[in-house]
Amino acid sequence: MESISRRAFLGRGVLAGTVAATAAIAKPAKAFAAPATGQTKATFIDLTKCAGCGACVTACRTKNTNRYPDPVDDIPVNWPTDGFEDWQEQRDDTDKLTPYNWIYVEQLEVDGVSVNIPRRCMHCDNPPCANLCPFGVQEKTAEGAVVIDHSGCMGGAKCRDVCAWGIPQRQAGVGLYLNVLPGIMGGGVMYKCDMCADRLAAGGVPACVEACPSGAVTFGDQEEMRALARARTEEIGGHLYGDAENGGTSTFYVSPVAFDRIDTALSRKRIALSKKNRTGVPHMKPNVGNRLDTANDMALGMALGPVVGVAAAAIAAAKIVKGDDAE
Amino acid sequence: MSPRPAKKRTVARQDLGNRIAHWLIALSTFALIFSGFGQMPMYARYGVTDLPGMAWSGDFGITLIVHYAASIGLITGIAFHIVYALRLRRFDILPRRGDVKESVQIIGAMLGRGEEPPSHKYLAEQRLAYAFIGANLLLVTATGVVKVVKNLPGVLLPGPVLFWTTMLHNVAAMLLVLGVLAHLAAFLVKANRPLLPAMFTGRVREEYARKRHPLWFDAEDGPRLELLPQPTERRRRPRPDGTQRKTAG
Ligand code: HEM
Ligand code: SF4
Ligand code: SF4
Repeated sequence: MESISRRAFLGRGVLAGTVAATAAIAKPAKAFAAPATGQTKATFIDLTKCAGCGACVTACRTKNTNRYPDPVDDIPVNWPTDGFEDWQEQRDDTDKLTPYNWIYVEQLEVDGVSVNIPRRCMHCDNPPCANLCPFGVQEKTAEGAVVIDHSGCMGGAKCRDVCAWGIPQRQAGVGLYLNVLPGIMGGGVMYKCDMCADRLAAGGVPACVEACPSGAVTFGDQEEMRALARARTEEIGGHLYGDAENGGTSTFYVSPVAFDRIDTALSRKRIALSKKNRTGVPHMKPNVGNRLDTANDMALGMALGPVVGVAAAAIAAAKIVKGDDAE
Repeated sequence: MSPRPAKKRTVARQDLGNRIAHWLIALSTFALIFSGFGQMPMYARYGVTDLPGMAWSGDFGITLIVHYAASIGLITGIAFHIVYALRLRRFDILPRRGDVKESVQIIGAMLGRGEEPPSHKYLAEQRLAYAFIGANLLLVTATGVVKVVKNLPGVLLPGPVLFWTTMLHNVAAMLLVLGVLAHLAAFLVKANRPLLPAMFTGRVREEYARKRHPLWFDAEDGPRLELLPQPTERRRRPRPDGTQRKTAG
């Protein structure tokens, strides 16, 4: 009898320990959780005002030119494929996203209306690109900027595959992989807009925002931008993009034409492009989902696993203990 | 009923709980390893997706779900194993002082050098294998849980935390792969093969247990000698001191 109660005590202790451990794991996560909205920044882009002048593109290129890739002459071929991704020849292209161009202005005729859409990373609320980086070298800063650490990137391009829009672009012949197993593992470094994280940290605004002469781009606290964008959508009887897409983003587009029409025009344009040039021309599908959604739904199951395991073990062990004592 | 020939007699070694935990953890681990490598952008690059029926392996959405599902199996198995072992006070698989030296002796004996020391329920190298695999499983699980939390909407972890969690997760996973490979390689050695049925039927040959694990076989809580098919009256070997063992009810 005495021994049974000691065993029962042990069991309860383990259960309590498991619960405490779970709580301990959950706590730091809370502490690191996104700062109260207000600190997270966002852009509101009013497409009724964008003239397509390209001032934002020029400003970005000027600001970031010394961060563009400078590949080695002898770029290793990525075994067992027979190539690598090299954009040096197209470093002056400003009509798509490349490692040498992190924002471009999409110019489309949609149902007789011409729209100009500055395209770049949306800086998602729960970015799959950063969350799923297999080397943990991408982060979302307190301001909401999603930033790739160029010095730690191996260039496997997973972030491009899991991004809802295929935003990050790869340049071969640069980065860490050259010092590890070049040609065998990795393939370069991924590049994209970083919301000018350095300027934000210094209390400034992104270069592209500052450069806009048409007042089409507004930058500020995410909730304020969201409210502005929603109000403007209502005002013009227009359409909003970036509020719900990929689980929410820090970029709100307001358009006079519907985004599914824009997306149709975009896919027509993409089909006409060469295969290489189809990357870096992101779609605009309304309500595109987040690659993490299903996995996150399963996280609850993970919390239940230990409960089931502990309960099953306690019952099974109790049966054995009872059997022994009945001897 | 006449007793079975001595060669065919078996003794119980792994009860159902142990076997369920082992296979739940083992199958989850295999699924985690495959889907985990799938989290590295490699199946598409190295042509795994071109193999018949494997196109899905390049889809991060799918391998991520497989990874999550398998991790639920692993966590459940680990929780079961820990509580089960604690409740039944089964600590015979934990490493003991001198296990490294003894493992060297056992391996030496397999190579024909010297005598193998008598073993408890587990060989010294099994206890070390348990500790190594177990420690790495706990490490992948702990870092994996942080990675799951980080994927939840509204959770942002600072860059260095992300980096080190990811690093530890990857390193522990690699060590785990080595551990599992060594574990499987152990069964290439003939001397270890009589252990295989332990994880399937739960039983090993009596003769094997008597010879290789005498410290377990002769112990108070050693295996109960019972014949297959289950006899109505259990047979007991007399103890060395001639006293009678407690009979099982
Ligand atoms: C086809 C795959 C596997 C087979 C056939 C197998 C078989 C076995 C056997 C026969 C034992 C010895 C049991 C005894 O001493 O009574 C064992 C023990 C063990 N297994 Fe496995 N196992 C497999 C996969 C795994 C995997 C994937 C893991 C880890 C995640 C694992 C972890 C362990 C551990 C920690 C032990 C105890 C230490 C040892 O005996 O080396 N096993 N397994
Ligand atoms: S738009 Fe793509 S690259 Fe930018 S944060 Fe979202 S998922 Fe990442
Ligand atoms: S926020 Fe900075 S990096 Fe991003 S497009 Fe604008 S200027 Fe370029």
